[in-house]
Order: sequence, then structure tokens, then C-alpha cells
Amino acid sequence: MRKTLLGYVPDESPIYSIHPFVNLLFMLVVSLFPMFIAPPEWNFSLILLLMLLMWFSRVNMRTLRIYIPVAVSMGSIILISYTLFGGTHPEYELLWQFGGIRIYWERIRDALVVYFRILPMIFTMVFFLSTSRERDVIVAMRSVRVPFVVTYVFAMALRAAGMVMEDFQIVRQAEQARGFDSKGKSLPYKIRKYVMYMIPLFALSLRRTEDFTNALVARGYAFTGKASRVKRADYILTHYHFGTMDAALTIIIAAAFITVLYARYGLGLFDLESSSFLTWLRELIVS
Amino acid sequence: MPSLIELQNYTWRYLHTDEPALKEVNLTIEEGSFVGIIGPNGAGKTTLAYSINGLIPGQYRGIKKGTVHVAGREVEAYASGSLQRTVGMVFSDPEAQFTAMTVEDELVFGMENLGMTIAEIRERLEWVTELTGLRSLLEKPPYEISGGQKQRVALAAVLAMTPDVMILDEPTSMLDPLSRQQVFDVLGRLKQEQENTVIVIEHNLEHLVPLSDRMILLYEGQVLLEAETRAFFREMDLLLDKYILPPGVMHFFFELLHTGVYAGTLPLTIEEAAEKLAQLFKERAAALQEQRHE
Repeated sequence: MRKTLLGYVPDESPIYSIHPFVNLLFMLVVSLFPMFIAPPEWNFSLILLLMLLMWFSRVNMRTLRIYIPVAVSMGSIILISYTLFGGTHPEYELLWQFGGIRIYWERIRDALVVYFRILPMIFTMVFFLSTSRERDVIVAMRSVRVPFVVTYVFAMALRAAGMVMEDFQIVRQAEQARGFDSKGKSLPYKIRKYVMYMIPLFALSLRRTEDFTNALVARGYAFTGKASRVKRADYILTHYHFGTMDAALTIIIAAAFITVLYARYGLGLFDLESSSFLTWLRELIVS
Repeated sequence: MPSLIELQNYTWRYLHTDEPALKEVNLTIEEGSFVGIIGPNGAGKTTLAYSINGLIPGQYRGIKKGTVHVAGREVEAYASGSLQRTVGMVFSDPEAQFTAMTVEDELVFGMENLGMTIAEIRERLEWVTELTGLRSLLEKPPYEISGGQKQRVALAAVLAMTPDVMILDEPTSMLDPLSRQQVFDVLGRLKQEQENTVIVIEHNLEHLVPLSDRMILLYEGQVLLEAETRAFFREMDLLLDKYILPPGVMHFFFELLHTGVYAGTLPLTIEEAAEKLAQLFKERAAALQEQRHE
């Protein structure tokens, strides 16, 4: 496994032979699928497919554990906000009532539908980040003609995030060495004293910005004038070749998207009523 | 050799400071020379480097008097981004000067800014990675490699732009001895194989002195001493007075000079010192033998 600014990627993976554009297209298009698919079982199947792809791409599946707290807390928030704070709906089917709190079947159903729509979107993003090195992301963006400045700012934002984290550790260690440590203290104390970290971190960031600007100028990068309009060779793109396999995958992704759209709006599939899981769950709860 | 850089009565004071960082500096640096600039912290070394590279007055606000000419033109007369094509700069903090996600992208970035074609970039990349020994690191992110490698990447990135002048501002201040040696090895090769003008600002003189054709001592914003390297170290009393510590071997021979045991020139390298010492022993042995005969 290799650590990138985006997460962990495998050292070797069959997916590296695919052009980064295809990976980006997959992420953008497949993450839209759940928008058109209401039944949770279909979206759950998409999650399984994505996990299968991750396994095939030699992604270390254990790293997925870090997303479990996010998934659980997100699910809990959605469920609570839809049920406990879901409001009063006389038109809905009331299941239980605790004082003023009414739990309706439709609200539970909606919470599940929303949750299982968001989850595959997150999995698609995780798949992308677990199989794309930093350079792949940049290449993918440049190959769809995103302007150099935009891709560059994106790349540097990623790098800056890493640098700020490093600087934070330095500041923290320096303050620990001077006897200030918020470890083990209460949350209000930590929040109150957070300024002790933020001020030096802010000052360091200013210095880094100055260093970085100087480095850019020293490398001949011009913000204005004739030199800023130089046509860039985009050398890194020469390492990537959009081959037959990439074209085929692009067509498959596009075809899959059109199929989903047709199934949803042409054939009327993937609506709530067609969900066998929701039918089963309703029967289970009501009985 | 014709002069490439010329400073005349140059004074620079940063905005909101009372004292100028550089005062009435007059300096000429010849084309193809290797110049070492030394001096204590706050002496104005970095300000001098920035003034030659155009970062001053381009990126900093302050008051300027006098002139700084590079290749016959005043630095302010260069269009934005064009002086840096003539004067390359390597900074002391390798981490802070990276502008790309992989070593290869880092090396290529400057060349792309110059508008080079892919064929030209490929050719120069080949050359510079061979010169600096970075071929095996091309795919790596620059923040994951060692300090010495990082500084070699920074050096290579500037070299790839083939500037006429290269300024290195304390390039080894954050490096361990081995990494320091590796950076100076590259500079040594550069001196042998290329015709660039190289200006190195350094505190550690052990590696700098053997390579330098000329040395400049900056002190409190002024050029206190400027001379050909050997002549520069003849002013040892002045240097020691300003807390400039010469390389160990040179200091040792200076002490020998003081005690009257040795009367020659100060050696610049360990090899030269070893030769001189061997010669000294031989002379001493011959003298002793002569005394015995008498």
C-alpha cells in the first residue's frame, strides 16, 4: 500500500493500466446511479459491485474500516431526523407513538431510501480515491480540458492540506515541549485553548505561502504578462495513452448510465413501489 | 571573463524596517564563475540573492537605491517571469519550494513554464536526472523522499531550466552530512561539465571553499571582503573576528602559520592539506638530518 494525499492506494493494481479519465468518468457517472434508483436492494447491490471492484483492484479492504464510523453516524443522523424529528403527517401510516413523537412507516422508508442512495455515492468516491494516485487525478482533469490553473490549484490544495497537518504536529509538539498539552482534557477546554495552536499555525501558513510564491516565481511561473500566456506542453499526459480498452470501458459506462435512465423513465423501473425489500420490511414492522 | 551580474551602489530597505538590509553594495560577478557568499545571519545574503533573481523588488515591498544589472539589463527592465529564465534559484527549505505532486512533475514544471516542447523536455529531463542521480525517484512524491534527495530535486528542477546563473540559498542548511556531500557532488559536477555561473550562499565552508573561484563576505548589509578564494582566506584575522569559521584544515594551517612552523599558502582542500603536511614533514625531517650531520 502507498500513502497518497487522498488516502491509501495499492502499489500495483490492474486499474493503473486504465486511463485516469475512465476512472474519473466512472466516479462521476456511477455516483449518479442512486439518484435514479429508489429501491435500497439495488443500491446495496451497487455497493457490493463497488466492493468487488475494489477487491479486484487490490485495494486493501481493511482500510475501508475507517469509513464505518462515518457510515454509521450518517445513517443514525438520517434515521433520527426522518423519524424522531420527522414532524406530524396525518396522511402517513402511524406505527408507534411516544408522547408527542410519532413514528410513521413512510418516514422510516424514506430514511432508508436516502441512506442507501448516499452510501453508494460515498463508496464510489472511496473507490476512486483508493485507486487513483495524485497524478492520476490531475491527468484525469487535464484530459477533459480542465484549465491548467484549476488543476494546479486543486493539486496544491491537496498538498497544502498535508503540509498544514504536518505543521500542526510541529506546533503541537513544540507546545507540548513547553508544557502545554490538551491531551486528556475536556472538550470545552480543548476548544477554548485551540487558539494556542491556531495562531502559530496561521503564522506558519503565511510563511509557507511566501515561500511557495517565491518558488513559483523562481520556476518561471508568471501570473501576468506575456510569460503567463506560454503554451504548456503538459508533459505528464505523454505517460498516459487512451487505448481501445479505455474506449470500450467509456462506452460501457455511458451505456450503463443510459440503461439506468431508460429503465427508470422509459420502463418505470426502480421506483419505490417495485422494492421487494421495502415490501418485506413493511410487513415485518407492521406485523 | 565578461561580467554577468553587476550591482552598483545598491541599497535595499524592506518596508517597515529602520535599517537597510543591503547598504551601498558594489559587486561584479563574472560569467561562468563559482562564487561563495558567506556571512552571519541577518547579513543580507538572502536579500542579495533575491535582488539578483528579481524576487526583490518583484515580490517584496521596500525602497531601492542604486542598480542591479543581470546580463546587461536592469532587473526591473525584465518582463514578469522572464528574469527567472536567466537566473535560477534554489531555496534553503526543500519542502517549501515544491510545486508538483511527483519528482518528475517537479522537474518538468519549470520547463513547461518556459514553453518548451515535449521533445525538449524529454531530452533535458534525461540529462538532469543523470546529472543529479534522480532517475529512480521520478515517480515518487517529492514530500516522501529524504532531505538530501529533496534538495537535489530542487536543484535539478532549476538546472533543467538551464539558467545562465544559479543561486543556491543555504541549500544544505537542513541536511545531514551525507546529503550535504551529495548536493555538493552535484555542484562539483556542474562546475566541471557546465558553464553556468553558480552563486552559493552557505554557512558550512567545508564543501563550499574547494569549489569556489571567488568568495564574498557580507556583514551587516555590506560587502566586507571580496576576493579570489585563496586571497580571501589570507584575511583570516578579519574572518575570525567576524566569527566566520574557515574549514578545519585551513584553520589548522593558519595556526601553524601563527606559530611559525609553516610559511606557505593556506590549503583549500583536505587533499591539498595532506600534501602540504607531507611536504612539511619531509622538510622538517631533512632539516633535522642536516642538523645531525653538522
